[in-house]
Amino acid sequence: MDRLQRAVMLLLIISVLTGCGDQRILEKLGFTQTTSYDLDPNQEQASNDEKQEQQKLLVSVTIPRTSDETSRELITATAYTSKEAKLKLQSQTEFRMVSGQLRNTLFGLSLAKQGIWEHIDTLVRDSSISPRVRVTIVNGSAHELLAKDYSQHYRTGQYIDRMLEKEAISQTIPEVSLYQFTKDFLDDGIDAVAPVIKQINDHVAIDGVALFQDDRYVTKIEPDQAIIFAILRGKFKNGEMSVDMSEVGRSNEHIMFTSLISNRKIKVKASPEAQRYYADISIDVSGSVLEYTGKLSIDNEEHQKQIEKTIEEYIKLKGEELIAMMQKNNVDSIGLGKYVRNKLSYEQWKNLNWRKVYPTIEVTCNVHVRIKDYGKFVNVEQ
Amino acid sequence: MREKLHPFHIGILIYMTQAGVVIFSLPRVIAEHLGYNGWISLIIYYGIAAINITLISLVYRLADGKSIFQIMEDAIPKIVVLPLYIFLLSVWTLVGCMSAKRYIIIYQIFVFPTTHPMLLKLLVDVLAFLLIIKGIYNITKAATLFFWLVIWTIFLLLFFVHDFQWVNLTTFYFHESSDIVTGSFRIFTAFLGYELILLLFPYAEKRKGVMKAVHIGNLLTFITYTLVCLVCFGFYSFDQLKRMKFPMIDLLAYIELPFVERIENLIFSIFLFTSLMGIVMYNWAAVEAAQRILPKANVKWLSAIIVGLAFAVSWIPNVLVEVDAWLRFLGQIEVGIAFGLPLLLIMLLLLQKRREEPWIDYNEP
Repeated sequence: MDRLQRAVMLLLIISVLTGCGDQRILEKLGFTQTTSYDLDPNQEQASNDEKQEQQKLLVSVTIPRTSDETSRELITATAYTSKEAKLKLQSQTEFRMVSGQLRNTLFGLSLAKQGIWEHIDTLVRDSSISPRVRVTIVNGSAHELLAKDYSQHYRTGQYIDRMLEKEAISQTIPEVSLYQFTKDFLDDGIDAVAPVIKQINDHVAIDGVALFQDDRYVTKIEPDQAIIFAILRGKFKNGEMSVDMSEVGRSNEHIMFTSLISNRKIKVKASPEAQRYYADISIDVSGSVLEYTGKLSIDNEEHQKQIEKTIEEYIKLKGEELIAMMQKNNVDSIGLGKYVRNKLSYEQWKNLNWRKVYPTIEVTCNVHVRIKDYGKFVNVEQ
Repeated sequence: MREKLHPFHIGILIYMTQAGVVIFSLPRVIAEHLGYNGWISLIIYYGIAAINITLISLVYRLADGKSIFQIMEDAIPKIVVLPLYIFLLSVWTLVGCMSAKRYIIIYQIFVFPTTHPMLLKLLVDVLAFLLIIKGIYNITKAATLFFWLVIWTIFLLLFFVHDFQWVNLTTFYFHESSDIVTGSFRIFTAFLGYELILLLFPYAEKRKGVMKAVHIGNLLTFITYTLVCLVCFGFYSFDQLKRMKFPMIDLLAYIELPFVERIENLIFSIFLFTSLMGIVMYNWAAVEAAQRILPKANVKWLSAIIVGLAFAVSWIPNVLVEVDAWLRFLGQIEVGIAFGLPLLLIMLLLLQKRREEPWIDYNEP
């Protein structure tokens, strides 16, 4: 070996040893799984004068333990900022807290009403946090929901996370991650949304979809309307809808419409001079009907057409109702603004006060429903 | 006989020298400086690079396999070209070491945040040194190998087909652009690297395909950049993209496969290879220039001194902002070299031709 090579080998060894600098020993790490943010309840009840000052946060994290399947560590701290809270939390555990395995962030309703962007901002900046971390709103106190052990279920954090994952697949809630929330929050043509959960006795249940104006919670969509909202918000595969036909003038008739595949197209007509905008949402839904209760026979071709028509009417009615509600609350949760923006020139869009115009635009839904099949069993008419 | 470089390998070498760690921030830089749908402008920068390459191919044709140093020394007294060599040597060394430092600092945002960056830099520099002393033929072989390790990552973009929305691209073009001139330099530096082909003339096979290969390498860089930027503009909202430091790392972080997620650290480590090729090629170019100044020196020691000097200089800037400022400045000089050097060479070659002309025997069939 010549001298040069020997020198290089020495350098190489030194370099490899740099790996010892930043050690992460698995047993010494505490992987936070869920974080909850609330306004400090002690302060929430304080008088209005005190509320003028910066409000304290109540932050809790759960760290699953490996000893057995249900044990976990829950630590809580109050602080002015979420990073300050992290320092305080750190001082309460023997583990080194890391956020690489963070899956879910829960925000209490009272905090969500004040705005959650500054907390999201902190999370987005942190390179160890995945852009897929969920953003979830808790109807009530996020801390209480997280602190409770639900005896019939898995560890609370994981229980909630898995439930949200499953529900998002069937479209009863939108899948909202840090990426999605940031994207919609920073886009001037759409408003952000997030799933809402709440605690019911020994369970946690889905409680609809939270609609935001900027980063502030404004209102929510009830769970039974969530599928209609999903149809309006974008295309999806897989979903279920229960149609109460009394809403469209046929009492005591119910249809279960399943395996939905939905497509949405938005067309906008704009006359910026007159400040008039029309949006036309055409919706294409197909699926199967396996359950029907009522006077019609689902095996009769005539009646099948009638059922398709009824579902069309139902979706149109409910969809337009939902849009009217969103316009009333001035939240553009389905992103009509994006389509209006694409119809205007840059100057026209920048001069347009979308918040002011949005409630006045005329929206119509055109629904086309196709029932692919009625199951593998036929009732023969006698 | 010394082995010569095949056009195919030259194309790959050019691509690997061009593409580097800059791709991780490029979509944001474009959004910042060129505004809505700024990704379209990439074709302009590609065009400029292509014109530059055409200029270089003119040199190639006129030089007829002679090295650029030979051309200069034939026309200008050595004492005059020496300062030019020293200038080229310093710029190339600095470009190499600063881009290495940049890679290390970005790497540290994600892993090893508290380790001393110069220790990690040492690791990269040792790798670079080992490659440089093996000579250009082996560098090219390594580049080809690294190319296959990296190029497949482009297919990861397929993951975003589902979430890509054309409506996010908007119908605005280049609105909200700012500082287009500074921005253009920043974006154009992403294409730099092809100018080093000037130094490869004596090593390349004497075939027609050489300059075509450089064009193809450049085209491949353009395609890669365009795809990444297009996906970023359609996957993120415009204001979001403007605020993201490294949009491509976030893209990679978003990918979730059934068996693995959070692959950004893994992929970023793979991109060490493309950065490494940039570092190696610039330092190799510096060594080539140094050899002209000190023809009798041992190449290995010369390389060791240059890499060592580069290491020492890269100790100066500590944070990303400083490194970026250095790179921006060096990038501007390098753009000057990329255009100025071929022009100078063409001038010299034409002068030489004219001087030689009276001796040409026109009567020969």
